[in-house]
Amino acid sequence: MLLAATEYVRPASLEEALTALRANTGARVLAGGQTLINVLKHRAASVDLLVDVSRLAELRFIDVAADGSAVIGAATTYAELERSAELRGAQPLIGEVAAGTVDRQVRVRGTIGGNACFADPSSNYPPLLVALEASMEIAGESGTRSVPASEFFLGLYRTAVGPGELLRAITLPALDGAGVGYRSLQIAADSWALARAVAWVRTAAGSPRTIEAVRVVLGCVAGAPVRAGATEELLAGGPASEQAVSAAAALAGEGLQPPSDVHASSSYRREMTAVMAKRALLDAIGGAS
Amino acid sequence: MATEGATVHAIDLTVNGVAHSTTVPARRLLVHFIRETLGLRGTHIGCDTGNCGACSVICDGQLIKSCMMLAVQADGCEIETIESLGEGPDGLDPIQEAFKEHHGLQCGYCTPGIVLNAKTLLAENPHPSEAEIRRALKGNICRCTGYVNIIRSIEAAAGAQGA
Repeated sequence: MLLAATEYVRPASLEEALTALRANTGARVLAGGQTLINVLKHRAASVDLLVDVSRLAELRFIDVAADGSAVIGAATTYAELERSAELRGAQPLIGEVAAGTVDRQVRVRGTIGGNACFADPSSNYPPLLVALEASMEIAGESGTRSVPASEFFLGLYRTAVGPGELLRAITLPALDGAGVGYRSLQIAADSWALARAVAWVRTAAGSPRTIEAVRVVLGCVAGAPVRAGATEELLAGGPASEQAVSAAAALAGEGLQPPSDVHASSSYRREMTAVMAKRALLDAIGGAS
Repeated sequence: MATEGATVHAIDLTVNGVAHSTTVPARRLLVHFIRETLGLRGTHIGCDTGNCGACSVICDGQLIKSCMMLAVQADGCEIETIESLGEGPDGLDPIQEAFKEHHGLQCGYCTPGIVLNAKTLLAENPHPSEAEIRRALKGNICRCTGYVNIIRSIEAAAGAQGA
């Protein structure tokens, strides 16, 4: 397919990239291109200038601190996340999710920042970043501002990144003993999901252990990730038992109106969301220390 | 609105060991550059939407889909296509030999991408399990074989590499 005509620039620095984005309102950031190139083929968006940030060292790094917190450059590829032994120790889900994204070819080119900024409801990272309470570091003319992931994803294909800005990095707080579970109902291995739930759980000692803090975030059900508030409320302060999890997870899909399509009806997605929430919670409790 | 030919970009890249210095418009896909500019027609276009993997080539040692990358993005890169395998007109690479021996192809349209997939897979993981081979092939669709003989071919190629 012939792409619509466009211009291209590969800036040598973040500053140059921001200058290019400010100078042209029709400019778009190009990272791995594993979505954007298809958008251009289908002429679904009109782009006057592609600002290729894929080789910027300022956007392509993994820094894991001694306490287990991490900063990941937005243009870091899935393959790089998958290979990082440091990340595997401190933030294991980031690499696991990368390893299960689409296929080998896409993992070589696709980036975590691109996944977040595309903000498709079935994108792998948005619900995980919300559950981990990640900070999205957005660079613009007056420096970098930090936006909590929960305020970054605004809706279908919409994020807090404004004109003349770009996502520079993602900061992840240390897990510090919290467990994280990530469950997706997928059509096939590594393919996109019909339902997805991510759980983050901190437990306190006891027999059974009690749930000190919990976050349950759902993907694929709305334009942006959704917190399962009723599930969280029922679990917080209670026992970390399978029975409690079953009762609370059953509430996860309540009030949601997920989309219906050829792969799954809305009610099926809602039911499976509760199943994914239960499994993610049990995984998170199992991983918490 | 930018127009075709308004700007071309200078690129330097190596394809199958041959250095090329040329110019491309921004919108030119790498697969079109390989097939039309360089005339290397072994790289196929299947779906043209990044799903089928027929256009897979090796870029700096890693498998990519050349319909999902602009030629200008390959500036400075080392590209290997199916034409880089084997020696001489009849000489086959051991992976190609294994595909021939184990009937790892029927119509052959997907084969260049799958052989390059196998090459990068075996470079990373010389003795993959069947499950690992199946997972590695996720991005390469074959509509003829049902994959069984492709998997046998890759297992045989891995065996032929020795320990």
